[in-house]
Amino acid sequence: MSVRLNRRQFGGMVGGAAAASTLASVGAFAQAGDSVRLIWWGNPDRDRRTNEVIDLYMQKTGAEVVPETYGWGDYWQKLATQAAGRNLPDLIQMDYRFIFEYARRGQLAALDPFIGAQLELDDFDENQLASGRVDGSLYGVSLGANSMTHVYKKTILENLGVALPDPTSWTNDDFVAMGNELKGKLPEGMYFSQNMGSLEPRLEVWVRQRGKALYTDDGQLGYDLQDLQDFFAFWKDLQDQGLTPPADVQAQDASQKMEESMFVTGRSLFGFIHSNQLVANQNLVEEEIDITMIPNQDGGEPGQYLKPSMLMSMAESASNKEAAAELMNFFVTDPEANDILQIERGVSGDASIRERLIENLTDTETKIIDYLNVVATHVGALPPPPPKNAGELDRALRPAWDAIAFEQISVEDGAKDYYDNAVEILERA
Amino acid sequence: MPSTLAARLAKEWRQSGPGYMFLLPWLVGFFGLTLGPTLASLYLSFTDYDLLTSPSWAGLDNYEYAFTRDRRLGNALEVTFTYVLFSVPLKLAVALLLAMVLDRSVRGVAFYRATYYLPSLLGASVAIAVLWRQIFGAEGLFNQLLLVLFGWQGPAWVTHPDYALSTLVVLAIWQFGSPMIIFLAGLRQIPQDLYEAASMDGASGWRQFWRITLPLLAPVIFFNLVLQTIEGFKAFTQAFIVSGGTGGPIDSTLFYSLYLYEEAFANFRMGYASALAWLLLVIIAIFTAIAFWSSKYWVYYEDEAR
Repeated sequence: MSVRLNRRQFGGMVGGAAAASTLASVGAFAQAGDSVRLIWWGNPDRDRRTNEVIDLYMQKTGAEVVPETYGWGDYWQKLATQAAGRNLPDLIQMDYRFIFEYARRGQLAALDPFIGAQLELDDFDENQLASGRVDGSLYGVSLGANSMTHVYKKTILENLGVALPDPTSWTNDDFVAMGNELKGKLPEGMYFSQNMGSLEPRLEVWVRQRGKALYTDDGQLGYDLQDLQDFFAFWKDLQDQGLTPPADVQAQDASQKMEESMFVTGRSLFGFIHSNQLVANQNLVEEEIDITMIPNQDGGEPGQYLKPSMLMSMAESASNKEAAAELMNFFVTDPEANDILQIERGVSGDASIRERLIENLTDTETKIIDYLNVVATHVGALPPPPPKNAGELDRALRPAWDAIAFEQISVEDGAKDYYDNAVEILERA
Repeated sequence: MPSTLAARLAKEWRQSGPGYMFLLPWLVGFFGLTLGPTLASLYLSFTDYDLLTSPSWAGLDNYEYAFTRDRRLGNALEVTFTYVLFSVPLKLAVALLLAMVLDRSVRGVAFYRATYYLPSLLGASVAIAVLWRQIFGAEGLFNQLLLVLFGWQGPAWVTHPDYALSTLVVLAIWQFGSPMIIFLAGLRQIPQDLYEAASMDGASGWRQFWRITLPLLAPVIFFNLVLQTIEGFKAFTQAFIVSGGTGGPIDSTLFYSLYLYEEAFANFRMGYASALAWLLLVIIAIFTAIAFWSSKYWVYYEDEAR
C-alpha cells in the first residue's frame, strides 16, 4: 500500500468522498402481487400474537398475507416514507394522533362501503367506532380501548402496610403525602414515582382536570401558560423533595422504551403507562404490579378518557380493497383470532368478543378490565384530534422539562419558553 | 483515417482501461443511486413537502427560515462544531501515537494492530452505541470504577447535559483505527536513513519526531484531517442511539444530521430537511476548502521542489 499522492490526485479523492456520502436515499420495496400487506408497530409479544392470527387466516382462507412490523419509534418514519413512495401497505395499524392527518390527505380509504358486506360491525361499541370517524366517514376500526393510568408495585406497598386511597377520588395532595410517608422505606435506589414532567399524556390529564384540553377543535393550544407552569412546578417540587429520581437518572428513559422506564428498571414505585401495557410491564417486573387512576386536582374534572389504543385502517391505494376488508374483519370480529390477540392491544369494542374473552383472562388481564370498568364511570369525552405538528410539541416537552429539571432555567421561564414555542410550532403547521 | 482512430482508442484503453474498470462499481453506484436523489433533494429544498402530499414550490422559504427563524439550528451547529473541534484533533493525536508505537517490529505486532483497529470496525455501529449508554450510565461500568477507585458516585454521564457530548467525543476518539492504519502506512514511507543520519548527528527522539516524522507525514496528516472532519460533521448514529433518538438531554447532543433527520422523518418536513442537507454540504465544502488553502503552508509533497 502506498500513500504517495500529489496534490491533484488527492483533491479528487477527497472531493469524491465528500460528495458521495452527504446525501443518502431511501429505496422502496416492490409491491407484492395479489396478497394483502399488513403493517403494525408492536413488541415481541404483540408480534407473536399477530403473526399467529395471520397464519390462522391464511390456513382458513388460503389467502396470502405479508406482515411487516416495527417499533413505535421507527414506525411513523417508515409509514411516511412508504406513503411518499406510493407504496403503503394495504392494512395499516393507525394511531388516533395520526388518523386525521392521513385520512384528510387522501391516504386512507373510507370503510363505510364495506360495513355490512365484509365488515360486520353490528356488535361494535358506538363510542369506539366514533373514534375512527373523520369528517363523518369511518377511516379506522378500533382494535381496543385503553386509558392512561398510574402503575405501581403492589407487593411493595402491601409489605409496607400502606393502603391505596379510593382511586376515584384521590388527589395530588394524597399522592405527595403517600410519597412522603414512604420516603426512606423503599428498597435502595427506588424513588416514590417516575417523574412525569416530560410526558405529554400526563400534562393532558392535568389540563383536562381543569376543564381544558391540550388542543382546541381548531388546532390551537387548549390550555393557559399558568396551567403549564403549575404542572412543571408540581413535578419540580417532587424532584426537589426526592420523591422522583434526580434529573440525570430520570433522563435515562428518554428513548421511551418500556425496558428503560424508571418503573421497570426498579427506580420507581409508581409509573405512568397505558392500561393495555400492564401485561407487558408485569412480564418485566418481579413484584406484582397493578394499575390505578391518576390522582385528581382538588375538585377537578375527570382527566382520563377511554381512547382507542390503536385502530386498523385501509390504504386508499390498496389494490384489492375487498380482500383487505375481509382480513380487517377477521382481526376485529373473529372469535378464534381474538382468542389469540386477547386484550394485548386493548379491550375489544365487539360485545360478543368481549364476553368470550373475559372468561379466559389471566389475573393481570382481569386487572385491566376492572380498571377500565372503574375509569368508564369517571371519564370525560374524547378530546379533539391533535392538530398537525402535535407530534413535534410532544417531543419538545422533554427538552423543555429537562431544562427545568437540570435547573438551567426557572419553572416560570421554562414554561413560558415552551408555551411560546408551542404557539409558534402550531402556527407553522 | 479510422484505422488510426481505432489504434488510438486501443492505446488509450490499454493505458486507462483497467483504471476505469476499477472505478466502475463506484461510477455505477454514483449514477445509478446517488446522483438522482441528490438532484431531487436540491429541488425539494425549494419546496414544502410533508411526504404525504405532493411537494409545492416554496422558493427560498426554507433557507430563509433556516437563517432567520429556526430556534434549534443554531444549537445544532454549535453542538456539531464543538464535536468536530474536539474529536478530530484528539482522535488524530491518539491515532498517530498508536501508529508510532505499532510501527516498531516487536513480536505479534500484527495481532496488536488488528486489535487496535477493532473499535473502528465496530465503532459507528448501533451495538457499540448501546454499550456506551451502559458504560456511562448512572450505574455503568465507568461510575462503578470511580466508586471503587475514589469512593465517588458520578452522575449519569450520557444523560447529563453537561457531559453527554463529552462521552460522544470520547467514543469518537476511541475509533482511531482507520486514521491509525493510514498513519502506519505513512510512517513506512519515511526513509530510515533519515533517522540514522539524524541520530548520528545526535538528534534526540523528540527532535527527530518534530523534524523528520511530522514534516514527512504532513500529507498523510492532511488526508486524515480532511476525511475525519467530514466524518465529524456527518456524525449521526452515536448521538441517535445514545440519546434515545432525542438529541437530548436538552438538545445537548443534537448533532446537525440528527436534527436534519428529525425534521425529515419525525416532523415530516422533507423540504426543509433537504435545505438543511444542502447547507451541510456547503459547510463541509467550506471547511474542506479552508483545509486545502491552509495546506500550502504546512503540507509538502515529495514530488515538489521546496
